[in-house]
Amino acid sequence: MTAPLSLERLRSDVAEVLAEEPGSFADDENLIDLGLDSIRLMSLATRWREAGYEAGYLDLAKEPTVTAWWSLLEGKR
Amino acid sequence: MSPIIESADVVVIGGGPGGSTTATLLAKRGHRVVLLEKETFPRYQIGESLLPSTVHGIGRMLGVTEELEKAAFTVKRGGSFRWGTNPVPWNFLFAVAPELSGPTSTAYQVERMKFDDILLRNAARTGVDVRENSPVTEVVSDDERVRGVRYTDPDGAEHEIRATFVVDASGNRSRVHQNVGGERLYSDFFQNIALFGYFTGGKRLPAPDSGNILCAAFDEGWIWYIPLSDELTSVGVVIAREHAAKLQGDQEQAMRGFLDRCEIVKDMLADATRVTEGVYGEIRTRKDYSYTNSTFHRPGMVLVGDAACFIDPVFSTGVHLATYAGLLAARSINTVLAGESTEERVFAEFEGRYRREYRVFYEFLSAFYDMQSNEESYFWKARKVTNFNATDLEAFVSLVGGVHSGEQAFTNADQLVGGFRESSGALADAVERTGAMDTETGDKMHHLFGTPVVREVMAEMNNVQVRGVLGEQARELPLLEDGLVPSADGLAWTEAK
Repeated sequence: MTAPLSLERLRSDVAEVLAEEPGSFADDENLIDLGLDSIRLMSLATRWREAGYEAGYLDLAKEPTVTAWWSLLEGKR
Repeated sequence: MSPIIESADVVVIGGGPGGSTTATLLAKRGHRVVLLEKETFPRYQIGESLLPSTVHGIGRMLGVTEELEKAAFTVKRGGSFRWGTNPVPWNFLFAVAPELSGPTSTAYQVERMKFDDILLRNAARTGVDVRENSPVTEVVSDDERVRGVRYTDPDGAEHEIRATFVVDASGNRSRVHQNVGGERLYSDFFQNIALFGYFTGGKRLPAPDSGNILCAAFDEGWIWYIPLSDELTSVGVVIAREHAAKLQGDQEQAMRGFLDRCEIVKDMLADATRVTEGVYGEIRTRKDYSYTNSTFHRPGMVLVGDAACFIDPVFSTGVHLATYAGLLAARSINTVLAGESTEERVFAEFEGRYRREYRVFYEFLSAFYDMQSNEESYFWKARKVTNFNATDLEAFVSLVGGVHSGEQAFTNADQLVGGFRESSGALADAVERTGAMDTETGDKMHHLFGTPVVREVMAEMNNVQVRGVLGEQARELPLLEDGLVPSADGLAWTEAK
């Protein structure tokens, strides 16, 4: 649960909260179009904070794509 | 005649949202809970504007989501404020951006007669033994702990209920809270009184903000304007307590005078008529002094809601603080009754989280009042934290911290004022960048949500909402240093891993 965050894990965390198959969406796809809402966003932020990455849900809300989040989180470890 | 003696796991005093929440969440763990309410529901109450954490967090945990939907309360997407330098109202919305606005980014404006009744009936359905028209006459205790209560039943017979815990959720006018000891500390600065009544035919803000609460500052204080239905509007004037004497006379005229001196409200009420009959027909007053008790707990007894603390109504926090405290109290008691931790440990968590919630809203409140610069007005000058001297600040600190406050950040007055200048400056700046409600930026809350003071007030409310929506899937980190985290079902505490 507190495994270090990899791009792979980020993708699977996102897939899990959106109830999508991992790999069924592109890294640059806008996650809001896939049903991302504020609750799921907050739960992702908590999950990654647990793993030691201090990104708030507001930061994540700015650009909701896997690519943007990965570069954001990499800078916040 | 000696009283009829019974026993229970927990006695909850008061059937408002704080009492119903606590009782229901205890009953969900199978405990024997008796709830004693002095009145017969439904009954009138003020505090009509809710926050999303109550509706979508607590409401879901209690299991009243569908019933609340059926009640068709006005949907509120936030608050609109004629406050600060902008002459046009600006929005504080619950969704950070329109595209992220989901079904949980809203709250309700409620007639408390209906809302409180839904929660109390739900408590009974969940297994709480609800007894109305049953005023508590005495809290029974010994040197060690509180042991139960005595009350009078509707036929006048005296009862005694012995219980492991007594929860006081009996509101702001009851004296039951004195049984925990300590004292009630009043804010020197937010000793406001409210004068309120109901109107039909009041205007609405343009859609999609027509369900919002409007709070409008004017020279002598501020006014709430709550759209309870298409027809009915709750209107209240919050003013300095020095006006109290004036209100002894013709309240109708006094109220009309205040309303006429607040331009935006005067306009909204231009074609409106005050309700003069039925439960909404009275003009009422209430002391809206901000206060906290110096302690919220003693062995065997805990305070929830207005019995513990109250904060100025401008952010619609009344029901939030009460139901949040109800959740914390239920988690704490459930943990002890399950034998999973000590009373001392869980109530340190209870009091720590409850005081934190009070403190962050109090700081938000101070920054918020600070923003309404109005140098000629007695009301606004007296409520500017950045004008405070060292003695004022000391009182301020003991209010938010309780007597046991050891927080380093509050030891230095200059530092404290500096901190407030910063947070109030950041808030004013964010309000300016957000702009008026009718602008393109006025729908986006990134600036406001990004200010430290708002981030702090959102933290736990967001956790409660996520818990309500995701249930056992919700993950929560400790909020306090060395603190506990909610158990998987969200109904108790457990040590953080």
